[in-house]
Amino acid sequence: MTYDEKLTAFEARIARGEKIEPGDWMPDEYRKQLIRMISQHGHSEIVGMLPEGKYITRAPNLRQKLVLLAKVQDEGGHGQYLYHAAETLGTTREEIVEALLTGKAKYSSVFNYPTLSWTDMGAIGWLVDGAAIMNQTMLAHCSYGPYSRAMVRICTEEGFHKKQGQEMVIRYAKGTPKQKAMVQDSINRWWWPSLMMFGPHDAVSPNSEQLIRWGIKTKTNDELRQEFVNEMVADLHAVDLSVPDPDLHFDEQTGNWISGEIDWDEFWRVVKGDGPCNKERLAARRKAHDDGLWVREAMAAYAQKTQRTTTA
Amino acid sequence: MSDTQWLRYEVFEKERPDLPHRNAGSVHAPDDEMALENARDVFVRRPNCLSLWVAPSNQIFTKTAEELAADSSWRAAPSRRSEVYLIFNKQGQRNAETFVSHVGEVEARSPQEALSKALEKFSRENVFVWWVCPAQAVTRSEDEDTESMFAPATSKMYRQPNFYKVVTEMQKLKREGEE
Repeated sequence: MTYDEKLTAFEARIARGEKIEPGDWMPDEYRKQLIRMISQHGHSEIVGMLPEGKYITRAPNLRQKLVLLAKVQDEGGHGQYLYHAAETLGTTREEIVEALLTGKAKYSSVFNYPTLSWTDMGAIGWLVDGAAIMNQTMLAHCSYGPYSRAMVRICTEEGFHKKQGQEMVIRYAKGTPKQKAMVQDSINRWWWPSLMMFGPHDAVSPNSEQLIRWGIKTKTNDELRQEFVNEMVADLHAVDLSVPDPDLHFDEQTGNWISGEIDWDEFWRVVKGDGPCNKERLAARRKAHDDGLWVREAMAAYAQKTQRTTTA
Repeated sequence: MSDTQWLRYEVFEKERPDLPHRNAGSVHAPDDEMALENARDVFVRRPNCLSLWVAPSNQIFTKTAEELAADSSWRAAPSRRSEVYLIFNKQGQRNAETFVSHVGEVEARSPQEALSKALEKFSRENVFVWWVCPAQAVTRSEDEDTESMFAPATSKMYRQPNFYKVVTEMQKLKREGEE
């Protein structure tokens, strides 16, 4: 078969709703885009442990501590599911981790913002995980089997992440004036970074069209962002919290909440490495990797001594 | 960074008595025992596991339906001693958490022969992927491990979304807002 015949057959499989599996033929560009997306997604889960991990020792009671600990542990697991999916495309765990530690790979910019108060745990759960779930629910239908399956598994677990955050925000919003002000401040700081999570506008999103044609994505950045705004604005208003957007208004004709313009200068600044916590996050990952070296060496030495393993 | 690249193990999880072991994903580990421990930590944070298997990825011979249709030269392979192979396959195309499921065993003298036998023994209808793995390469959780490995997850109900009654609470708040 010629390249064009293979491509036609490949696109027909996707059009029939078939999953592409490791071993199946795929265009190089499909493979490349997926490695980029999946490893970025995995890095986001791993780096995403840091802003919340900071509060595990500061939780106000044991229940909250257990919940936060379980959530951060899930994120570590989600990073593993995604790295696994990326490896099925021919990249190695070594290359993936190295790309993160050297700063070559990107991860979601939202994790380059600092967590400044306890109620940020609520805002992150409800807004950031809520936005992530919208994106991940779409990606569960992705044409690449391993990515799709990782997403199905992650979405079922993320429901807990979003709901524990929502529960916390509602509780504080109904609390004392001081508690309400605290959670409003968290919403104010996490609202815009959450909207930015959906990425650039469709018109300037270079990869979108091809990703949709190949069934990697099924909705555009702006479509997903609009769904998120509609759901969140109604819910935040119901708990008597405000949205930090003076231009936000309801459009009777479309039934959509229309938000003001995102600060795209800020978005690109943070993406390019100059956000409030970019350096801190990378330094924390590098330190964890370096500090874990003796453990990896000890385990490898023990495995060799006991000879229970098939050599790689 | 040669220190990070351990062997990759495929993980198979049995979630209900009436379901076979199904591939959940993979983990890296320096040996078989750690692979099983890592598999538990990565894939069993929720109470739905009865048994786990791990097998080194490099021991698993795989063919997709597309590969089988395109080429049959893989069938020629040198014979080794006869041993039992586990057969897994992926049926259907729905969105699901799991990939290939354990369908049975064959005895063969190479992975290639095992697959040839499996293609005759098991239905090929609606099968998109085949995996073949020597039984001796698989490390399995023991019945006596069940309590320590999987039971603790059942007490952690705060990991379940329905532990949080936020949907009814939001509905109540919205009704109150309209009144």
